[in-house]
Order: sequence, then structure tokens, then C-alpha cells
Amino acid sequence: MTELTIPTPEEMGELGALIAGQLRAGDVIALNGELGAGKTTFTRGLGEALGVRGPVTSPTFVLARTHPSLGDGPPLVHVDAYRLSHPAELDDLDIDFAASVVVVEWAAGMLDAVVDEWLDITIRRPVGGVESEEGVEPRLVTVEPHGERWHEIRLV
Amino acid sequence: MTREHRAHEPLVLGIETSCDETGVGIVRGTTLLANVIASSMDEHARYGGVVPEIAARAHLEALTPTLTTALEQADVTLADLDAVAVTSGPGLSGALMVGVGAAKALAVSLDKPLYAVNHLVGHVGADVLTGEDVEHPTVALLVSGGHTSLLLVRDLVNDVEMLGETIDDAAGEAFDKVARLLGLPYPGGPEIDRAAASGDPTAIRFPRGLSLPKDMEKHRYDFSFSGLKTAVARWVEQRRDAGEEVPVADVAASFREAVADVLITKAVAACRDLGVPRLLLGGGVVANARVRALAEERCAAAGIALRIPPFSLCTDNGAMIAALGAQLVAAGRPPSGLGFGADSTLPVTSIQA
Repeated sequence: MTELTIPTPEEMGELGALIAGQLRAGDVIALNGELGAGKTTFTRGLGEALGVRGPVTSPTFVLARTHPSLGDGPPLVHVDAYRLSHPAELDDLDIDFAASVVVVEWAAGMLDAVVDEWLDITIRRPVGGVESEEGVEPRLVTVEPHGERWHEIRLV
Repeated sequence: MTREHRAHEPLVLGIETSCDETGVGIVRGTTLLANVIASSMDEHARYGGVVPEIAARAHLEALTPTLTTALEQADVTLADLDAVAVTSGPGLSGALMVGVGAAKALAVSLDKPLYAVNHLVGHVGADVLTGEDVEHPTVALLVSGGHTSLLLVRDLVNDVEMLGETIDDAAGEAFDKVARLLGLPYPGGPEIDRAAASGDPTAIRFPRGLSLPKDMEKHRYDFSFSGLKTAVARWVEQRRDAGEEVPVADVAASFREAVADVLITKAVAACRDLGVPRLLLGGGVVANARVRALAEERCAAAGIALRIPPFSLCTDNGAMIAALGAQLVAAGRPPSGLGFGADSTLPVTSIQA
């Protein structure tokens, strides 16, 4: 398990981009963190670096959005599992895990019934208090690999 | 226009299934003949939002009765149609596929030309059905559960430009999430509106996303509601942690004011910057009284002609898709053929797929 402090939204996007550079079709990332932690910001940076058709915005309303590659790489499937109550409902979305990079927000407890290996990323923001207009308070990011695939992941 | 002249205008059937409304509309040119909508929103309420698989199943069940009712209302038969139009994106893939499949089946079995059109441009196209003269260019602000887009429409069938859109949450989605924080049910828009009625919109100064000078360079016409949502969350958490009661009415009113303010500020700025004195509102958010009132007030002050089509043409519907299809037919566009599919992220520059 690795812990990182990410000071700004820009750097959260850069972390997404750094990880994107190491991804291939079949990879799954689980993103956790409360409302407003920075999950979509992370995924936007990841999508831009993967070279998929954007913009990467919140998938809450649509549950899952497929961003096709603008080159010859894999598509990005961006999922919000908040409203799913059972892993079977994630399976119902008919996501092509093998051919895509899949990022699942609010993934806690949803993935082990569907895939074998994934990278768990948890983002924590300060609770309570007043977020400044710039929203630049640091986030604490915890990265935890599940499965062999992720042991070599580079985070800095 | 004489009846004879009108008979030459294309009779088009439009199918819309991009989200939770099954819409079938029929137009002759710019004349609305039928606009029938079946909604599956009640089925989604217990999940706190639209569930694509439920939506797809609901579309499948609703499509044939909706189509039959539309034909009856318009007093035409399928054989009378000149063309079929359908939303091919953007939207929920599974939901779009139902409409696309139905439209292809109709076009093939009837041997009619098929036009696959863009859902967002369809919202702009609804304006031609209001019976008033529509002038271009116009700026269009489209806001719903799934979209927050500011468009420059120079020509409905040739030239639509995305000026800006949300970089995180759609405005309607922000309403749903803040409702969730305040313990209000789904859909959040009407609930927040109701709670806000007795609240003070100046009680809490919530942030206006992407309105700071540093943001305005890169994101002049883009929207962001994620920071606002976080600000509301933290404000509420702080009260709860301190054991205080959360003033739901004031939070709802202050939040709604922040959303309405940033939407209308950016839309009016676009009109001014581009020298376009026309603004069109579309999407379900026009149901929001505060958004409408603020738009009326600020447009009047800035000398901008504001257009808000009737609510039944602002929310998702098949008539707007038929209207855009009829415009494409009238412009002499070739049909889309059968090679297109549902495209959940179809860009707005693709007016016809």
C-alpha cells in the first residue's frame, strides 16, 4: 500500500496521467472517496493521457460512459457504481473488460465478483470546514494493488 | 402558408430514447402534429437515478404504444411518412440502441429514408416548432440531468459549435447529489426547488465554478459543479459535526442561486462576447423557476431576446428529433443509411450521424 499527498486538482490529473501511461486493455482501477474528493478529476487526467475522446465528466447520471480511443489504444470505460446495489448489476452493464481500460468510481465491494485483479485508489478530502473558492486543499491518496498485475506500478 | 404549400413539406417521424423518456413525435416541416412521451422515471426513483438496463427495457415496452398513439394523434399512417429520424447520441448506450433499432426496422420495412441525428442539436431544433420566426445565429444553453452545454448555433443543419460544457457534473446531477446530501428524494431538481422556496438565497455564499479570472482564460464558457457540490457537502458536514440542525431551506436556496447564477452569467457573457443578441434555453432545467426568472431578468437588462420553448418541447421528446430530421430533409441532405449505431459520446459537431 502506498500513500501520496496530492496538493492540487492539477496534480490529481497528473497522477491520473502518470498511471494512464502504464495501462493496457484489461486493466481495472477502483476509485473510492466521498463526494467531491477528486475521483472525476483523476479520471479526466487519465483519459486525456490515454488519448480517448473526451470530455471525461461525471458518469453518475449515465452509470457508465465509453470513451473511444482517438488513436489505436483501448477505450476508457468510466463507471459510477454508487447507485448499484449488487455486483450483478455491474455485470449487467455488459462492459467489455478485456478490451478496455475500466475505471469504476464508488467501487467498494463491487469488483471481486466481476474481475480478478484491480488497482484500488482511495482519495480522502478534509471533512467539514469551508472549501476555499480555489478548492486547493490537499488530498490524501492511498494506492493498493490487488493481484500480480499491479506490483510494478509506478506512482511518482 | 397555404395548405397546398404545406403538403410539400416533409412529413417526418422522430424517435428519441437517449435517456428515460420514450418519445415519438411527428412533424410536417415546422408544424407539430404529435408529441407523445412515455417516461420511466418512476421506475428509476428507487435507485436514485436512471438505470440504463431498466431504461432500455422500459423503452422496448413503451415504443410500440407510443408510436401508435403518435400516428393516431397526427392522423397519418406509416405509409404517409417521407422520412424517419432517430437520436443516435449522445445518451445511454442501451437506451439509444432501442430507438436506433426501431428506427432502422421502420425505415427498412417501409422503404423510407432514415436520418440519425444528434440529441443536443435536437433540443435546439425544437425551437422551430414554436410557430415563431427563428433567427440565427443564436446561443443555446441546454441543461438537464445528463447535459450542461453552451452552444453557438450559426445554422441548425450546418454549423453548431460547442462553446463550453461541464467539465465534471451536469447541473441536473448536482441537484440530485445535493438533494442526496440534504436527505431529499430523487429527482433532486423539483425537491430542491420546493425546499428553496422558503429559504434565503443569500444565506450562504457558495462558490460559482470556473468564474475566477484564472479559470476564465481556459474555461470561459465551461461549467463546473463539482466544487459547488463539495462546498455544500462540507458546509452541511460542519453543521452536523457541531450537532446543529441543518437549515435545509437556506442551503437549498443558496445552492440553487449559485447554479442559476453561473449558468445565466456564462450564457449572457457568451451572447455579449460573440455579439449574438439571442439566447435559447432547453432541457429539463427550464422547469426550474429560479433559472427562468434569472434568465428573463438578465436578458432583458442586456437587450438579449430570450426564447424558452414550451416545457413539453424542452424536456426530451421525439418531436424535436422529427423537427431536426425535417430540416435535414428540407436542406437536401442524404439519409444516414443503416451503417450508424448508438454513440453515447457523439460530439455536437456531428449534427447528423
